Amino acid sequence: MTELIITTGLTKFYGEHRGVIDIDLGIGEGEVFGLLGPNGAGKTTCIRLFLDLIHPTSGSATLLGLDSRADSVRIRQAVGYLPGDFITYEKLTGRDLLEYFVNLRGHGMARAESLAERFDLDLTRKIGELSRGNRQKVGLVQAFMSDPRLLVLDEPTSALDPLLQQEFHRLVLEEAAAGKTLFISSHMLSEVEIICDRVGIIREGSLVAIEEIATLRERALTRVEIEFADSVSVDDFRGLDGVRDVFVSDRRLTCSVTGTVDSLIKAASRHTVVKIESAQPGLEEVFLAYYNDDSEKEDSGAA
Amino acid sequence: MLRNVYLKTLRDSRKSVLFYSIGTVALGLYVTLFYPTIRDATGFTDFLEDLPEVFQALIGDAETYTTAEGFLNAEVFSFMGPLIVSVFAIVAGTAAIAGEEESHTLDQLLANPISRTSVLLQKAGALLTGLLVLSVALGIGLVAGSKFAGFDLSITGTAQAIVSLYVFGATMGLLALSIGAATGRKGLAGGVSAGVGIVGFLLDTFLSVVEALEPARFISVFYYFNSNDVILNGINAAHLLALIGITGVAVAAAVWQFGRRDVSV
Repeated sequence: MTELIITTGLTKFYGEHRGVIDIDLGIGEGEVFGLLGPNGAGKTTCIRLFLDLIHPTSGSATLLGLDSRADSVRIRQAVGYLPGDFITYEKLTGRDLLEYFVNLRGHGMARAESLAERFDLDLTRKIGELSRGNRQKVGLVQAFMSDPRLLVLDEPTSALDPLLQQEFHRLVLEEAAAGKTLFISSHMLSEVEIICDRVGIIREGSLVAIEEIATLRERALTRVEIEFADSVSVDDFRGLDGVRDVFVSDRRLTCSVTGTVDSLIKAASRHTVVKIESAQPGLEEVFLAYYNDDSEKEDSGAA
Repeated sequence: MLRNVYLKTLRDSRKSVLFYSIGTVALGLYVTLFYPTIRDATGFTDFLEDLPEVFQALIGDAETYTTAEGFLNAEVFSFMGPLIVSVFAIVAGTAAIAGEEESHTLDQLLANPISRTSVLLQKAGALLTGLLVLSVALGIGLVAGSKFAGFDLSITGTAQAIVSLYVFGATMGLLALSIGAATGRKGLAGGVSAGVGIVGFLLDTFLSVVEALEPARFISVFYYFNSNDVILNGINAAHLLALIGITGVAVAAAVWQFGRRDVSV
């Protein structure tokens, strides 16, 4: 498989401040890769390094076999880019802006027009008069309109309403089916789950893990709370497979579960269960799963 | 007008170019239509000659003030002309790159397949084009006004003075554009360029009357622009080349620094 994005020790400092540290990535052609992390983790830095808007302190990035520094113009010719907050010339109408960028890229307006129609975007209005969501749609259209081989999208749906998010997800899946490569940053696990094949987790500038979506979901901690008819003993739930942080207070049990909840359910079924609540694993829970692992490793290393 | 960065930048500045051109035509007409009044006023030359040298430096040379070219030299090419041209050029120069960066549109522009050098040079080209329009407009105003007022004006002298004014404006504008491109800071770019112009004007005016400091005039941009009274004596090629040289160095340094620095979101 050809690798469309390769980074080696990619590092960026803004003066004293950390951007990203020592990022090693390999993303294959046709892959939909999600970069998952909280705000300020370095997702945008990573993407801006790809496009040569900022320059690495050390290390390198190769996109489509071209060096991000030396061949940035040729890279950008083949890359569609959408930032989290699409800001552009407010006085231009949507159509004028798309026409301008189409001219800079040297292709026709046909695909831009059909994308605008698909996202129900009024191209006759000035960008400065559009709502944030509609402005973001203009951004979406300009990112996809050149039919690029690689799409780099930075929190693309943060400004879109749920319906448009779904339409966007459909578009991403279509592009993926057509063999396009997509690099998408997000802080929502639920989003990368839907559209990505693989996910990199970034925290405080470092890539802490790269996982298949399925693996990630398995390792994610699910918080479970069970209410019983009678008081239960904590001992009944100790040492269960994948169950940790067990806490019992009279008739109420809370714990975290990784992977399946099977063993917990079986243990619970020996009592009369009144209510079960389980929270979808959020980003924090995913991180927690990884950090807990790290600290366990450290513990065992010390012992 | 949206074919490339050059045309897009011209498009953005079309209103400004139009209004400034109306201004320069008006200046040309106003000054030339006013000239016969000064020429015919008896005793005006005597009055000027009696003034201390420092006031003559500000108002204009007594010997030539009542000739058409001397009058235009004092009233157009010593102060108002360079002022209007510099303000236009500095505003356009700061807007070009630092302005786009501060209004957060540069990021998206540079995400297109276009090099930073090309963006900088196309924006510089648009500035030079706009400046050309208002310089030509000034020339039209001056020549038309002299016809209306019925006096002979040296076309070659006027043309040379306008070329000199154009180069001066280009220097101020490209200096602002260069500082803006190198730093991304609009205020700094405008402030430094305006400072260079204002200090240059003051130095050139006052150093010319302080004999001991006269040799120091060469540090002022104004010295290279009109110290030899271009409309009367023709272009000093060495002076214009000095301005073009300074500008060339500034732009080259800006291309280098803009290419290596980070662009802010």
